[in-house]
Amino acid sequence: MKNIVSVQQVHKNYSLGTFVVPALRGVSLDVEEGEFLAIAGPSGSGKTTLLNLIGCVDTPTEGTVAIAGSPTGSMSERQLTRLRLHTIGFIFQSFNLVSVLSVLQNIELPLLLQRSAGAKERRERVHALLERVGIAEYANHRPSELSGGQRQRVAIARALVTRPQLVLADEPTANLDSVTGTNILNLMKELNRTEKTTFIFSTHDARVWAYASSVVRLADGQLIDRVSAEEAVRVGGVAGAPTAGTP
Amino acid sequence: MAGTLDTLKVIVLIAFRNLFASRLKTLIVGGIILFGSTLVVVGTALVDSVDASMSRSIIGSVAGHIQVYNAKSVDELTVMGSFQMEGADLAQIDDFKAMRKALSSVPNVKEVVPMGLSGAMVPAGNTVDVVLGKLRELVRRQQAGEDVKAAIESQKDHVRQIIGVLATDVANIGKVLTDKAVAPEELAAIRRASSPDLWSEFDDNPLGTLEFLENRIAPLATDAEMLFLRYIGTDPAAFAKSFDRMKIVDGTTIPPGKRGFLFSKFIYEEQVKLKTAHRLDKIHDAILKRGKTIATDLGLQRWVKQNATEVKEIMLQLDGQQKSMFRRKLQQELGSQEEDVSKLLSRFFEVDDGNIMRRYQFFYDELAPSLTLYRVRIGDTLTIKAFTKSGYVQSVNLRVYGTFAFEGLEESHLAGVLNLMDLVSFRDLYGFSTPEREREIAALKKKAGFEDIDRDKAEAELFGAGATEPAPSEATEHSAPAVDADALLHGLGGKGKRVKMEDRSYDPAQLEQGVVLNAAVIVKNPRLIPQTMRDIEAAGKKAGLPLKAIDWQKASGLVGQFVTMIRAVLYISVLIIFAVALVIINNAMVMATLERIAEIGTLRAVGAQRRFLLAMLVVETLAVGALFGGIGSAIGVGIVGFMRFVGIPASNDTLYFLFSGSRLYPGISPINVVIALAIVLVVSGASSLYPGFLAMKVSPRQAMQSDE
Repeated sequence: MKNIVSVQQVHKNYSLGTFVVPALRGVSLDVEEGEFLAIAGPSGSGKTTLLNLIGCVDTPTEGTVAIAGSPTGSMSERQLTRLRLHTIGFIFQSFNLVSVLSVLQNIELPLLLQRSAGAKERRERVHALLERVGIAEYANHRPSELSGGQRQRVAIARALVTRPQLVLADEPTANLDSVTGTNILNLMKELNRTEKTTFIFSTHDARVWAYASSVVRLADGQLIDRVSAEEAVRVGGVAGAPTAGTP
Repeated sequence: MAGTLDTLKVIVLIAFRNLFASRLKTLIVGGIILFGSTLVVVGTALVDSVDASMSRSIIGSVAGHIQVYNAKSVDELTVMGSFQMEGADLAQIDDFKAMRKALSSVPNVKEVVPMGLSGAMVPAGNTVDVVLGKLRELVRRQQAGEDVKAAIESQKDHVRQIIGVLATDVANIGKVLTDKAVAPEELAAIRRASSPDLWSEFDDNPLGTLEFLENRIAPLATDAEMLFLRYIGTDPAAFAKSFDRMKIVDGTTIPPGKRGFLFSKFIYEEQVKLKTAHRLDKIHDAILKRGKTIATDLGLQRWVKQNATEVKEIMLQLDGQQKSMFRRKLQQELGSQEEDVSKLLSRFFEVDDGNIMRRYQFFYDELAPSLTLYRVRIGDTLTIKAFTKSGYVQSVNLRVYGTFAFEGLEESHLAGVLNLMDLVSFRDLYGFSTPEREREIAALKKKAGFEDIDRDKAEAELFGAGATEPAPSEATEHSAPAVDADALLHGLGGKGKRVKMEDRSYDPAQLEQGVVLNAAVIVKNPRLIPQTMRDIEAAGKKAGLPLKAIDWQKASGLVGQFVTMIRAVLYISVLIIFAVALVIINNAMVMATLERIAEIGTLRAVGAQRRFLLAMLVVETLAVGALFGGIGSAIGVGIVGFMRFVGIPASNDTLYFLFSGSRLYPGISPINVVIALAIVLVVSGASSLYPGFLAMKVSPRQAMQSDE
């Protein structure tokens, strides 16, 4: 399988006044197409920083990041934006829907930014996704009229509407109750299987590791290991966590 | 293209949804924009309308489109709005014919009207003079053998009435002030005039008694007033043709080739009419035309009071018979037994809103026919004395042919301040020589043994070599005759020659050939005025004439600058309002941007380019601008439309002139709305730039802010 993501010896430092805080320290990671990868670790371990670098919303202090075979280090801001638009879908912890737009318009937004699909095609894709994520009846509702789970479904649909090769999800279940979180993970998993879309999601919740095809564990900005979901659950020692393959 | 439109649609959608989501902010910002755009539409429409109406007034009444005068003049030409009695100090243009030829060579010039502006104080005589004049004429006829005894007795009775009025006046002054307020010789004259002996003397020596009365008693009647007349000397026919709003109100125009004077109707009413009658007219018109009431208007109350206290002007006109008639009619009208006519008149003029219309009618039906309403009547001869250019007093007698007004500007002081006279008489008064005068002067000089002396050396010749200080009229030495013709005429029996001057004719060709001070130019295409002015000056240069051309606005002095001033005030107000709007919109948008950092970050993360965000914010403010600017403009159009429907009343003389009539019916043109919307959109766009800059700086990482 081809690598969709290739992160090599990446360092990322943040400056806090005169202090330099290292967020990532020499992380290397390859992600193959079609993977359902979890990036695990406690708060402050560097999960979101790694996702930011993979998502091209940030640039490494050192090291290289290549997405779909294209190194991002030499890309301009404009090119990075285009790369995000066409290759990557984002799912955020806080859903990040545009509050003034309807569900349908939120999902359609990336397509409008792409300017490639006609109105008819856009509507068809949006409606298909609405059906797929199970919120077709809320198409004309505003995000504020939906529950957390429904909002995250909208976010998932928005991330997938451009048919990206890679979907990045930052703590997608952190703001949801456990039942809803499970449903969302099941949905993502199903989409991963049927659409062959690569999913990388960060989580600090060991219970959701079981959904991943593999788990990358981070601590203090360093990659500790990359293990299978079963191994991760075992090593993480989380009692009662669902096992890989559990729908 | 479809994609771009769809993107624009989503931008607009987001913008509108954001505006709706922040209703209060939108309403505050929108309210300011709405007010500003309404102000711009109404303000510019009003200023444009006043500009148009004022230009009609100025161009159509005296200035024409362009005024041309000698570029070597000391002063700038001002045909309006000048408060000087004399005109500006202008160098003359010696040959109007050459000037006309040069001006007519400019393609856009349609008409050229020769002009000269000046002013004089004209004694209009008083009532006592008039009565004594009649008595003197009767005495002359009696001495010639006519039987006019009854008429003389009636006139003597009138003089006695007048003396009675004046005696009462003098006594009143003594009571109110002190005895010292009345000069002893005045008191003595009144005593002598009141004594029965005077009329015995009159029978023996009528002319001697008349002389006493004329010299000692007539000056005591304070109704004698000077008329302050500003006038244009012109070719009356060309003037009437070029200023087609001019209409003759009373009498006729000055016939071609005749010396004559036309009063401006406004001045005729204001200065020549019996004051009491004029005030009554003004009260009547203010109530009828302007809806004012005596009960509420202080100005009207003041006029009523003046009329009630100043009845002497009427009393002096009444002889015994008229007095009895007035007593009878007023007693009947007022239901009073009062015997004193002056008290009856006072009561009669104490009008209120209930009786003004009836009293007005009664005055003109019953009393006015017995009164001389105008001190100078149409057909009378007016003696105008004015200082010539070289400082001597010159006088001409002119027949008053009538009165004129400009259509629509009948009540305007500014349009009505100038009277008209023929250009030949103007030249006489101004001290310009004419062929006729030069012949006269030559004859006189020969007879008197005068020699020509050089003007520059005149003082040295007359007073010795030391007196070299230049004469005050030095500025115009190049144009003045070597010896002042008027002074000579005046001093050497010119008076005799001027008898019946008013009846003398002149060759109309003289109008063309002589001196003028300025000329009004009417153009074919008013849009080409600036170019035409340049062409005129070039044509003057080519013809060897130092011509200066100024447009109507400049020629009308302060009056013409009025609209420019209003426009400046309007634009400054608009500037302030929109500067405030810019700051407020900017702040509101900055706040909105800061509140939407996560949303903007999300848009950036999902692939929105920076320009999309800038466009979003610009569209957002432009939407507010367009929406509220549009509503404000519509309200402005509505307000102007309403004003056009009802008309804005001209509450004073100046407004009457600016409005070119009693009401301004403002018009609106698309340009007024376009200006308002353009300002609004520029301000809106500008105020979104800084927030847009902030938004562009938002990193897509902002969307990923979670636990780290």
